[in-house]
Amino acid sequence: MPLVTIDNKEIEVPAGTSVIEAAQQLGIYIPHFCYHKKLSIAASCRMCLVEVEKAPKPLPACATPVADGMKVKTRSQYAIDAQKGVMEFLLINHPLDCPICDQGGECQLQDIAVGYGGVESRYAEAKRVVSEKDLGPLVATDMTRCIHCSRCVRFGQEIAGQMELGMPGRGEHVEVMPFLESQVNNELSGNIIDLCPVGALTSKPFRYHARGWELSRRLGVSPHDSLGSNLTVQVKDGRVQRVLPADNEAVNEGWLSDRDRFAYQGLYADDRLTVPMIKDNGRWIEVDWATALAQAAGALRVLKETHGGDALGFVASPAATVEELHLLQKLARSLGSSQIESHPLERSAGRGQARWLGMPVAKVNTLDRILLVGSTLRSEQPLLAARVRAAVKASAELSILHAANDTQNCAVANAVIAAPSQWLAALTEIEQALKGASASAEAQAIAASLKSGANKAVVLGAVAQIHPQADALHTKAAAIAAACGATLGFLPVGANSVGAAVVKAQSGDVFAAPRKGYVLLGLEPELDCVDGAAAMQALATAECVVGLTAYKGRAPEYATVLLPIAPWAENEGGLVNMEGRLQTFNAATRCQGEARPAWKVLRVLGNQFGLEGCDFDTVAAVRAEALPDGWLEGLNNAAPAVDLGAAVAGAIEWLAETPIYAVDAVTRRASALQATAMAAAPVATANASLLARLGGKTTLRVRQAGLAVELAVRQDDRLADGVLRIAAGHPHTVSLGARMGVLEVEA
Amino acid sequence: MLKWIQQFFKTFLLIELLKGMAVTGRHLFLPKLTIQYPEQHTPMSPRFRGLHAQRRYENGEERCIACKLCEAACPALAIHIESAQREDGTRRTTRYDIDLTKCIFCGYCEEACPVDAIVETHIFAYHGEKRGDLYYTKEMLLAVGDQYEAEIARNKAADAKYR
Amino acid sequence: MDQIQTLLGPAWLPVWTLVKIMVIVLPLLIGVAYLTYAERKIIGYMQIRIGPNRVGPKGWLQPIADALKLMFKEIVIPTGASKSVFILAPVLALAPALAAWAVIPFGDTLVLADLDASLLYVMAITSMGVYGVILAGWASNSKYAFLGAMRSAAQIVSYEIAMGFALVGVLMAAQSLNLGDIVRAQQGGFWHWYFLPLFPMFLVYLIAILAETNRSPFDVAEGESEIVAGFHVDYSGMAFAVFFLAEYANMILVSAMTSLMFLGGWLSPVPFLPDGLFWLLAKTSFILFLFLWFRATFPRYRYDQIMRLGWKVLIPVTLVWLLVEGAVMQTSLGRFFH
Repeated sequence: MPLVTIDNKEIEVPAGTSVIEAAQQLGIYIPHFCYHKKLSIAASCRMCLVEVEKAPKPLPACATPVADGMKVKTRSQYAIDAQKGVMEFLLINHPLDCPICDQGGECQLQDIAVGYGGVESRYAEAKRVVSEKDLGPLVATDMTRCIHCSRCVRFGQEIAGQMELGMPGRGEHVEVMPFLESQVNNELSGNIIDLCPVGALTSKPFRYHARGWELSRRLGVSPHDSLGSNLTVQVKDGRVQRVLPADNEAVNEGWLSDRDRFAYQGLYADDRLTVPMIKDNGRWIEVDWATALAQAAGALRVLKETHGGDALGFVASPAATVEELHLLQKLARSLGSSQIESHPLERSAGRGQARWLGMPVAKVNTLDRILLVGSTLRSEQPLLAARVRAAVKASAELSILHAANDTQNCAVANAVIAAPSQWLAALTEIEQALKGASASAEAQAIAASLKSGANKAVVLGAVAQIHPQADALHTKAAAIAAACGATLGFLPVGANSVGAAVVKAQSGDVFAAPRKGYVLLGLEPELDCVDGAAAMQALATAECVVGLTAYKGRAPEYATVLLPIAPWAENEGGLVNMEGRLQTFNAATRCQGEARPAWKVLRVLGNQFGLEGCDFDTVAAVRAEALPDGWLEGLNNAAPAVDLGAAVAGAIEWLAETPIYAVDAVTRRASALQATAMAAAPVATANASLLARLGGKTTLRVRQAGLAVELAVRQDDRLADGVLRIAAGHPHTVSLGARMGVLEVEA
Repeated sequence: MLKWIQQFFKTFLLIELLKGMAVTGRHLFLPKLTIQYPEQHTPMSPRFRGLHAQRRYENGEERCIACKLCEAACPALAIHIESAQREDGTRRTTRYDIDLTKCIFCGYCEEACPVDAIVETHIFAYHGEKRGDLYYTKEMLLAVGDQYEAEIARNKAADAKYR
Repeated sequence: MDQIQTLLGPAWLPVWTLVKIMVIVLPLLIGVAYLTYAERKIIGYMQIRIGPNRVGPKGWLQPIADALKLMFKEIVIPTGASKSVFILAPVLALAPALAAWAVIPFGDTLVLADLDASLLYVMAITSMGVYGVILAGWASNSKYAFLGAMRSAAQIVSYEIAMGFALVGVLMAAQSLNLGDIVRAQQGGFWHWYFLPLFPMFLVYLIAILAETNRSPFDVAEGESEIVAGFHVDYSGMAFAVFFLAEYANMILVSAMTSLMFLGGWLSPVPFLPDGLFWLLAKTSFILFLFLWFRATFPRYRYDQIMRLGWKVLIPVTLVWLLVEGAVMQTSLGRFFH
């Protein structure tokens, strides 16, 4: 290993290490802009120039690999002069409008100019002005401030896998810009805000709201997907001002998806519920907590006594914390009800099973062969998609089975694109191909791919879990995994789907047979259930619906008591992510109005029923009871013993995915995210042949089981034949009924 | 010995005390320095730091760009700023309050301001009858600025060559 | 006058005495008021400023305004205070300051009570004043007030001795305890006044009365920079004003005493001018001016320095001079003291 001397300190580092990395290991800081440890080396900013003995000129530390016996000086007069000169050049075209720049106070250019630059500029000529670029509703631009470090361009190419920004031009004419007439639309675009060392790319929702030094930083965990990205929630005046990633290599690697980053806006939506309310003769009145809780408990007690415990149904969002779900199931069981639902977006007989990724998240990067079944990965788990991309870049082969051949952020080796009803057959073919039997060419190719390679995984996504044959798909996937020695994994739908199953807050579909009373925790049933229409029907006929919710939404239509609970940033508790990692968090801000963390509400509700063992003082005490030692052994991906059954094939099958920015109540209210292209109003898309069969109309009236919706039509030839793709989880498509069903189109 | 005797007489003849009384006695007849305040005024430096004001440009546009440097510089934490993007896209304050009961009139805010928006005027004879009266909001500060702009500009110009 | 006397009959004596008391006390209180004004003005001038000048022409009505203000202010009695003693203390401070005036001769025959032991009476009565201060400090139930009271007591006891010895010198020279006789013994021009032969006694007496009246530079009983306001820290309104009155009445009293003892009282300094009350007032005013001049000049003594000065300087000086005086009086030079 080469031995190098940096500033008279010796260190031995592996060959190929750059000088800047070696210096970092010695604790020596070399100023830089374009270098980033997770991106490729551009050496375009020249800020990291250092003196290397016997070199004829100063060398960029980021692009110079160490050599044995190399002697580097980072603070010699020679190096200082070089850095000072570079800084003077960088500032020539920089507008120095720091007072109105959002980066002011947390700007690398400011810091390094003070630390390594000169005192005065000799440049008196006119500065360059660069026209603004429209990068969409999330990223604000002030391109005149750009110093052309190209980090944003490299992030798109290397991490996000979408080259939406480029840097055409030479010399003074070089500009960072998106492709003509387009914006930055990928689901990780917010990261370029963090990467930009100057104020050229800043957060649009946060624009001009606060300075870095005013914000208190609190750690949080994202509740929007089951990865559980670690967050730095930045708060000022008791309000979340912005969200930045917290470094955790094992989870989010310092990146953050736009959903995690910008969803905080939803916390301040107009329809936040901040006072307990009860329905009094059809009129909603605001009451105090004692009254509301007494009313809720009284109504539920009457129902229990007249109709028995099972007349009560309990439904929770899979993003509710471990503690909330534990208290909810405890309450349900003590009332004699076995009707608990915390996986409302899954269709499986074995939904109580704690199905998980089957491996640590970090291991995804090292996989060699991946079979992805029924997963719109980039919208379900944006950062896991980036890990899959990293694996593929490092020679992994990705095979997919889906109804839509969407643009992935990486190369797809083999793809079977088939209508959902054909998936079971497709998996069976792959299984047979693995056993050597004859099969279709695609199945053979996938089998061949899975046979080779060392680290393999078969992963079932959200679409596979909401599929009408979810259990059969599970069984077949397990068989394939067993046949090729792969790990079977699931991509849990909610942030705490795994935790919910671990605390046994799951027993079955409580809307299938309408109940007399319901307790809802943190979800909007019309949007967050497999069959929103049926759920609303069941709630409408119920005598008592106690809604623990942070938002009013449509709750006043069906609820009888509304209890305001704290959404994510105001809540405390723990979430179990897809790899079985329990991540706990404290409240980042105080609750709005009279809202309280749901675990406290459920605890007091438990007291109202005289429930034993409900006198918890802290959320940690609840957690200790919910997750006793050894709870991790509850994670289980074993296939249920079910009859595979036959698929219900129809002429038109509904591919009903939840759009990326409609996964939960908070995200649905985040105004900037809702303004993106990915949150556009639902349309029906189909391939050319299906469209031709439907008569080439521009709008369709689509129907399922007597419920109809009118939608615009788009052509998308990436879809399998016979599939109509309509986004679910949107108010407009609620009345289409059960997801993934068979649709009719009205003439 | 001689010194001791000298000291003895010096002490017992109360020489030092009489010297002191001579000083005060002389001052009894010196011309008096008192300024009869409401009728007379002392001369004021253009750098005098009195009541704050927010200035505008000649076209009526407020100068403040919500950079929050004054808020950061304020050692007494007397300034409270909230900012947002105005409809025309510019960076503006939605709230700019100075709590004059906290303010120590150090002038750092004026020093920090990159656009000469916040200034301290010559006004020192203002009062409030309730605590809240001395909590100056953006509108009040702008009103002070509008009223005394000519004087503020004159003082700024007088001091400019020393900055 | 005779008609009124017959009209009142046996009640005449008390009424006439009361009238005489009023004739002494009322000008005295007005004098106190204007002494405060003079103090503020003179110290102001010595500090090159002009002092109060807003209330009335040249500020003449300032003492009246102050008095009105104090009268209308609430007398706050601290919850921990001993209420009756708290109220009694200012009265105890003021009463002796006024009572002593009974024996002060304003002229050859102008005296309320012509006692033979009037000097002794004055000494006894003025020593009572310190009880007011001590009780005030104790009754307030405050550590500052208590400290002030203790300092005051120790200080007054210490300086009482030096002051007494200084007066012993005077009475040895005059061979009388009657204040009128002491003045008459100084007849014949200012070179017959006692301040010349008894010059060291005169200085010791001047210093001692500063300490006795708690005046600067011996005002450690108030010591606002250390113990806020000392014994009267918890007093407000009229109760505070009474302490104030007592302090200034005491100042006038000891100044008058100085004029009587050492400066020949109502006697004219030169034989060709007539004697009269005017001279007494002029001399008293001069001593009062000295009080103010001292206050404007000297910083406050440290407490241990006060004790050292009283016990180790002033008392030995007076003792030595008494010895000298006694010895000289036995020789032919004894005339010098008459």
